[in-house]
Amino acid sequence: MSYEEKLEEFNRRVEAGDKVEASDWMPDDYRRGVLKFIEMHANSEIMGALPERECLPKAPTLKRKMSLAAKIQDEIGHAQLLYRVAEDLGKSRTAMYEDLLAGESKFHNVFHYPVHHWGDVAVIGWLIDGAALVTQAALLDSSYAPYTRVLKRICSEEQLHLRHGEHITLQLASGTDYQREMFQEALNRWWLPIIHFFGPRSNVAKDLLLHWKVKTRTNEDLRQEFLDRYVPKVTELGFSFPTPVPRLKGDAWVVAAEDIDWAPLDAIKKNRGPETQRRLSRRRAVYDSHRWVREALSEPAVHAA
Amino acid sequence: MEVYEIFRRSGHKNPFEHCGAVIAPDPEMALLLGKECFLRRREGEHLWAVRRSDIHALEDESVLEIAADKSYRFASDYRDVVDKREAARRRVASMSWGGAS
Repeated sequence: MSYEEKLEEFNRRVEAGDKVEASDWMPDDYRRGVLKFIEMHANSEIMGALPERECLPKAPTLKRKMSLAAKIQDEIGHAQLLYRVAEDLGKSRTAMYEDLLAGESKFHNVFHYPVHHWGDVAVIGWLIDGAALVTQAALLDSSYAPYTRVLKRICSEEQLHLRHGEHITLQLASGTDYQREMFQEALNRWWLPIIHFFGPRSNVAKDLLLHWKVKTRTNEDLRQEFLDRYVPKVTELGFSFPTPVPRLKGDAWVVAAEDIDWAPLDAIKKNRGPETQRRLSRRRAVYDSHRWVREALSEPAVHAA
Repeated sequence: MEVYEIFRRSGHKNPFEHCGAVIAPDPEMALLLGKECFLRRREGEHLWAVRRSDIHALEDESVLEIAADKSYRFASDYRDVVDKREAARRRVASMSWGGAS
């Protein structure tokens, strides 16, 4: 079969809802696109552990500290699963780690921001994990089957994280004025990054990942689901939103397009976010100090002595 | 370093199921990494690690397609037992009338 014939058959298969396995023939653009997408997801899991790691010493009780540490371990575990799936598409884990450190590959916008206090843990655990779960649940039906299999595990653990984050939020919401202010102050800082999290409006005509059903829904569709699901819950707790303020239109919670300032996201895409360089250097320090582990793993016999 | 496929069994009544893969230098490390990746919450009570290169897979999945109509191999082909049972009952009923004469 010629490349064109293979491509045509591939398109037909995917269009019909067939799933693609690592060993199947796939167009180069599909392989590259899926690899880049999963690599960014993996990078985000690993970089997402850092802000929460910074919050560990701020845990108010030992139990909160233990549960947050367990959650961080889960996030690193997600990265391991995702890197493994990405590796089977033809890029080594070392190359992915090094591209991340060199700024050649990306990680999610929300992990480019600083954390200040325990209120951040509540917002991250509830609203950012909530946003992540909306996007990840939409990927469970992705055309790339190995990705959907690890996402099943990731989503079930994210459900737990969401519950954990909501638990922390409700404790602050039902606590002292100071505790309520902690949540509100954190929400004020995180709201715009959360809106950005879903990305700008999808270009359906140009987006190959949508075309090949690697992604199944558009950015604005996912953002809308998040708003409809979470805005009422936040409002019910007596908290308010900064710009872009969601407003009820019919039965949907809508943020006006002109209220969204995209400049911070554009800066982050160029790795010029508020915390980008500090987080990357933290990641680099960990990567370097753990070099001996990788060496011991790759040649156990040499290092056993 | 090699790819190891990881399988876990969630109870004695269940078969081992594939749950993912890890990269490891030897089977011992593969089991350790497999446990950390896939069994942090007691999702199983036993674990296997198998070198990917030791797995023999079908080269052509189309051989699994059933060549001819073999519907008689499936329970769904016998769904009309309800009608059949009814017909048999009617038949027996007609016999007992006949037997009384």
